[in-house]
Amino acid sequence: MDQDEVRAKIVEIIGTYAKDKEALASATDDTNILEDLKVNSARLVDVILDFEDAFDIEVEDEDADKVNTIGDAVSLIAAKI
Amino acid sequence: MSLPARTRFSLFAQREVGRLWSVVWVPASIFVLSVIMRYRIRDVRDLRRRFRTLVKETDKPIVICPNHLTMVDSALVTWALGGPWWLVFHYRWVPWNLPEYHNFASVWFSRLAAWATKCIPIVRGGERNQVSKVLKRIQHVVSRGDTAIIFAEGGRSRTGRIQMETIAHGMGRIINSIPDCHALCVYLRGDRQDRWSTIPKRGDSFYVDFEFFRPESENSGMRRSRDFAMQIADRLVQLEEKYFARQATA
Repeated sequence: MDQDEVRAKIVEIIGTYAKDKEALASATDDTNILEDLKVNSARLVDVILDFEDAFDIEVEDEDADKVNTIGDAVSLIAAKI
Repeated sequence: MSLPARTRFSLFAQREVGRLWSVVWVPASIFVLSVIMRYRIRDVRDLRRRFRTLVKETDKPIVICPNHLTMVDSALVTWALGGPWWLVFHYRWVPWNLPEYHNFASVWFSRLAAWATKCIPIVRGGERNQVSKVLKRIQHVVSRGDTAIIFAEGGRSRTGRIQMETIAHGMGRIINSIPDCHALCVYLRGDRQDRWSTIPKRGDSFYVDFEFFRPESENSGMRRSRDFAMQIADRLVQLEEKYFARQATA
């Protein structure tokens, strides 16, 4: 799976939780998941657990702390698959 | 979980300053609750006896996980579990708190008072790295024998009942990160507390009940922390159901 496929899958997963669908449609690697896409901070854990299921990886709490933007999520997942 | 020496010293200094003047601020806080606000805790003697028995019988790290309806819940829970002088002389059971930074940070006096009363401010929904630093501080103080209050819900419940969709992952994460850490689930509710508010109504009487347990999970990583948080939430829901069942039969 290349980075574009990873990014597309990530955006699809976040789409379930994002309140700002317009921002999601124009999301880039610099898009902040909480601030720009208006994902509830309490749901960020669900987002990352969905990443685990979708990519068959395991994410530690410390790794999850580094995920602020879509680019961060792509880097994290790309390093684990 | 390793904190820089400077941060460890800072937490040590914060704790000791708070402890030195706890002889003033702990009784004064309880005076405000009990005399000025005229709050009452129902069956408080029995409750405190249960809590003292519990802490005598266990040497496990404990995180207190209450439900959240008002901004003075942590003070009420602390008061329910121990009288003023017991808390002064058993300062480890005066819990560390994680107040929302923006609720008090605009006034320097509030910041100072929070620092000197075992508070570590947090910006809810803020930068993940900053939240992580705060959680590491709580892990540090709990693993060294103090206790902390982490509200099960991310904020005060907007429905007046436990909101499973807002359960705070950080609570499970802290317990997961401390070996053999236990949760003390505390359900607190004023008789006239229909829904969330800033403070309870003056003269209100509070029902308090608690349950002590060790969360378990066969998972690892974030999923394990998540399992812990959900188990704590489930226990609080059970305590809430018990409260409403008692109300229905009263």
